[in-house]
Amino acid sequence: MDDHSPRADAPAPTGRVYETPPTERPITDAEAARAANLAANEHIKIASGYLRGTLADGLLKHATGAISEDDGQLVKFHGMYLQDDRDIRAERTKKKLDKAYSFMIRLRIAGGVVTPKQWLILDDIARTYAGNALRATTRQTFQYHGVIKSNLKRTMAAIDAALLDTIAACGDVNRNVMAATNPAQVGAHREALKLAKDISDSLLPKTSAWREIWLDGERVVGGEDAAEIEPIYGRTYLPRKFKTVVAVPPSNEVDIFAHDLGFIAILDKKNKLTGWNVTVGGGMGMTHGETDTFPRTADVMCFVKPEDALKAAEAVMTVQRDWGNRKNRKNARLKYTIERYGLAAFRAEVEKRVGKKLADPKPFTFTGNGDRYGWVEGEDGRHHLTLYVPSGRIKDVEGGPQFLSGFRRIAEVHEGDFRLTGNQNVIIANVPAAKKAEIDALVAEYGLTNGAGALRRNALACVALPTCGLALAESERYLPDLVSELEESLASHGLQDEDITIRSTGCPNGCARPFISEIGLVGRGPERYHLYLGAAFDGSRLSKLYREDVQASEIRGILDPLFADFAKNRQPGEHFGDFVIRAGHVAKTTNGPDFHARTGALKPAA
Amino acid sequence: MSRLALLPRTAPFADSERASLDAVLGAATPIQRAWLAGFLAGLDAAGGQPAAVPAAPPKAAEPLTILFASESGNSEKLAGDVGKLARKQGFKPKVVDFADLDLATLPKAGKIVAIAATWGEGEPPARAVRAYGELMGDAAPRIDGVEFAVLALGDTSYAEFCAIGKALDARFEALGGKRAASRADLDLDFEKPAADWIKATLKALAPAPADNVVAVDFARAGTEDEDAEPSREPHVVEVVEHVNLNSSRSDKETIHLALAFEDGAPAYEPGDSLEIYPENDPQLVDEILRSAGLEGDEALRKALIAERDITTLSAATIERFVKATGHEEARKLVESGEARAWIEGRQLIDLIETYPAKLTGEHLSAITRPLPPRAYSIASSRKEVGDEVHLTIAAVRYETHGRARSGVTSVHVADRIRDGAKLRVRLKPNRHFRLPQDPATDIIMVGPGTGVAPFRAFVQERRATEASGRSWLFFGDRQFTHDFLYQLEWQEALEDGSLTKIDVAFSRDQPEKIYVQDRITQHAAEVVSWLDGGAHLYVCGDAKNMARDVRAAVVKAYETVKGLSPADAEAQVATLERGHRYQQDVY
Repeated sequence: MDDHSPRADAPAPTGRVYETPPTERPITDAEAARAANLAANEHIKIASGYLRGTLADGLLKHATGAISEDDGQLVKFHGMYLQDDRDIRAERTKKKLDKAYSFMIRLRIAGGVVTPKQWLILDDIARTYAGNALRATTRQTFQYHGVIKSNLKRTMAAIDAALLDTIAACGDVNRNVMAATNPAQVGAHREALKLAKDISDSLLPKTSAWREIWLDGERVVGGEDAAEIEPIYGRTYLPRKFKTVVAVPPSNEVDIFAHDLGFIAILDKKNKLTGWNVTVGGGMGMTHGETDTFPRTADVMCFVKPEDALKAAEAVMTVQRDWGNRKNRKNARLKYTIERYGLAAFRAEVEKRVGKKLADPKPFTFTGNGDRYGWVEGEDGRHHLTLYVPSGRIKDVEGGPQFLSGFRRIAEVHEGDFRLTGNQNVIIANVPAAKKAEIDALVAEYGLTNGAGALRRNALACVALPTCGLALAESERYLPDLVSELEESLASHGLQDEDITIRSTGCPNGCARPFISEIGLVGRGPERYHLYLGAAFDGSRLSKLYREDVQASEIRGILDPLFADFAKNRQPGEHFGDFVIRAGHVAKTTNGPDFHARTGALKPAA
Repeated sequence: MSRLALLPRTAPFADSERASLDAVLGAATPIQRAWLAGFLAGLDAAGGQPAAVPAAPPKAAEPLTILFASESGNSEKLAGDVGKLARKQGFKPKVVDFADLDLATLPKAGKIVAIAATWGEGEPPARAVRAYGELMGDAAPRIDGVEFAVLALGDTSYAEFCAIGKALDARFEALGGKRAASRADLDLDFEKPAADWIKATLKALAPAPADNVVAVDFARAGTEDEDAEPSREPHVVEVVEHVNLNSSRSDKETIHLALAFEDGAPAYEPGDSLEIYPENDPQLVDEILRSAGLEGDEALRKALIAERDITTLSAATIERFVKATGHEEARKLVESGEARAWIEGRQLIDLIETYPAKLTGEHLSAITRPLPPRAYSIASSRKEVGDEVHLTIAAVRYETHGRARSGVTSVHVADRIRDGAKLRVRLKPNRHFRLPQDPATDIIMVGPGTGVAPFRAFVQERRATEASGRSWLFFGDRQFTHDFLYQLEWQEALEDGSLTKIDVAFSRDQPEKIYVQDRITQHAAEVVSWLDGGAHLYVCGDAKNMARDVRAAVVKAYETVKGLSPADAEAQVATLERGHRYQQDVY
């Protein structure tokens, strides 16, 4: 249980020399952008006519399932990624077939709350266009995989019919806003959800391109005046992706330290909201072999009153819009902006844009970043059931749990709502006491489960192969097997009930936030991973590279002696991530800039 | 009346010779002149003396109309054979495609030989539909006194064996015609009996004794356009590419086959087909031998694998089986009249297993027919692939009556042929599926599934010849991702301009089925605009549904785009067909 009042381990600002922040607005002229040597994506955004590009034409090119490279960048702003099935890539050319292209479509569901009616529509879409699977993501929304180009418009129309959209679910914009789900804290959840929705709506791109391209909407005729078309973003949107979350202590389920912008609810003794601590500059992504790229945990910057929260969100985002690096995309996220110009200068600029001095952060405590499985009763007497969904894959498993069919049946009788968690699980929320038995019966009938072994329920994996174009190694298809191996090892040391976070990603971009889990695996090549240890259990401290390029088959052998040591020499209540540092196995990471320092095992494990 | 001086002064003859020639030629009928021209040409081409020399000026030869209704080209080929032989025997033959038949000419035809194929479940070949319909209709003219003979082609594996030939035979008689020779109904192994029938029939139709017949045999130098026709000799070819074009996630299997002709590929044209001589599945042969109690007869096994059709089951097969074995139960089946229904979905193995009997090799030979070759539309142009022929073959597999069945040739190719294997093949030309003469003419190609094969040849040809006409392909199959045959090649063709447009219809990618005909309807205005601009439209693939539905969609397109009545729209399409601008290669 780490106390953050305010961060005791924050790096001392002395000795750092920061650059002077820019005063110009971002370049929006094609000539000037070339002269300034801006990153390729900046040119694409400038030329796109507010995210249109040639997407409409590309949909009519029937011989290919792909779209043009530039459109491939733009379509992200519409919530989609062009992908191909890498499992069957090798055979395609010989068969005179193009790559097996399809699209990943990600929804915008602020706070991850959907009604049963929406669930049923989303289920229909999954069955009709997306290979009978709905996927709950690590950022509290749904995504579909495998939607082919000829079905994109139909799928988008169906999503629209569910009163949902996919705008800004990916791309250089404020993406889906996450919010704490804890159903026990009814009032705080309501506030967190409202803030998440308000931020999501107010920071949404205003271009009509989405409606035009996907729903055959009318092209809104008007001037090219950016102030009218995109009052907040302008022609070039943000330098890089921007992720926002809202947390309610003591749960850090949204992993606030891994996000660009965060709000931590500060509640009074009666659990009433008094305001929000604002966090800035967290982020996971880095590039292998480039030490000027690194993950970073967010700084807790200030405290805002409820009425100033939205303004503060917009200010943080627009400062990043103007200060962020547009020449080098690997150095463009807010975390680098803050490292470059310093938190003090950043805070001053935010205060300037909010129009007032902001207070220092208030004390708060997080106890972990996992979910509470099973039934809980809320303050209002409603009941909430958190179900465990391995890797968020809502599908019918042959000979196993029937997630897709089970949730559908529940949606048909459920009167409350559904909440997705940042850990890819599903909460059946707001169930009246009288209805609990019916839900329980369906859960049993379809083999759904409200838990798993301690390690498994704290596991998180990104999608990786076969659909993700960035993956270097397996992730979601591999982690369950590794967890089984490690569970045996843990049990042999009497640690079977120990909560330890373990996460894997197929590449270092960090979708499953591997650098803030106690055991982190990051893909390097087929069956090859970097192994990271020493993060804080609650996600507030980064890990450290412990072993480079380990074979999948070696991982259990490497961790087993550490588990043995932990079982024998841990202090009461001590978490595994803290233990490996105290016991001298691995160096502690203070924050991003020292992430790549003193890597490796500090001593033999046994 | 002054004689016309036909020969110019520059002609290489003495003045007296010119005058003599003018005297003869000026008085000659066009037929006599044409005959002479052919005679002289043939004489020179043969480089020798004709086998017979006219003793006297020829009498006008007896006209003979040879009608054919052809789908695969067999009837047409036979009609050509009749023509050749008839000419030798002193007829003045005229070979007429049903597609071009003007019914009004029939009453004056004098003598008619009709050769008709039956297609699918007792339907006329697609090109013959119009004229056949008219002939069967109330408005058909009387042909009193016209002598006729009908040769019917069919396939005993279909219920309505030779139905069209039978109907024509009856109809000619009903219209007042006089049957000169009785009809023959021939199965896939028609070549020998057809030749016999033709000889006998021409004899029956022959005019007065042959002392005034000029029989001229120019050896190779025929008078028809077969000079230009490439050799139909079987070749043994090597498989140089064998790849399943469908993805490993597909439930379909379509083999792309590249065949190399060591001795040079026959001079095929885009639109032609290639026949493959298949072998039977050895496992099925073994099952038949086991059921017949003939295991261990290696010679018989070999013969059954390579030479006999051991899958087709027809009423005739059962009758022959009963005759050979005297099997009582089987006889009851025949006598009950239910044999035809029982055949549905069954094969020879089912017969032998259901009615076990001790059989001999001779029995099996008597029961079965020779194993016919199977024709596939050629998917390549010689201008692009040289001495290769490419084919696109869908493996046919299905289950009936609890037994897995497979197409003889397609599964032979899919399962038992690999790179480096040898196949025996024979070219089968198809003059009715040809690119426009003018390379500037636009083409619309409708070819779902393996129907796309000839269009790969068309696009290759038009690329190689740098044809300036536009081209538009309608392709369809089940799934875009897994069944898009030759996807990369179409992308290249679009890139280099040899293909102008492509529209696709994948039936299983969305809840409702979408087929090529739906795409035609969707783009009706543009399709009609291309056709108005002179485009040719080609359809290749499934005859049963697709070709019919595509045609209906084109008719409908004329209706909706031009506001025509259904009858007028139908007439527009019929006009296209008569002008050979709407061509089909369906199977």
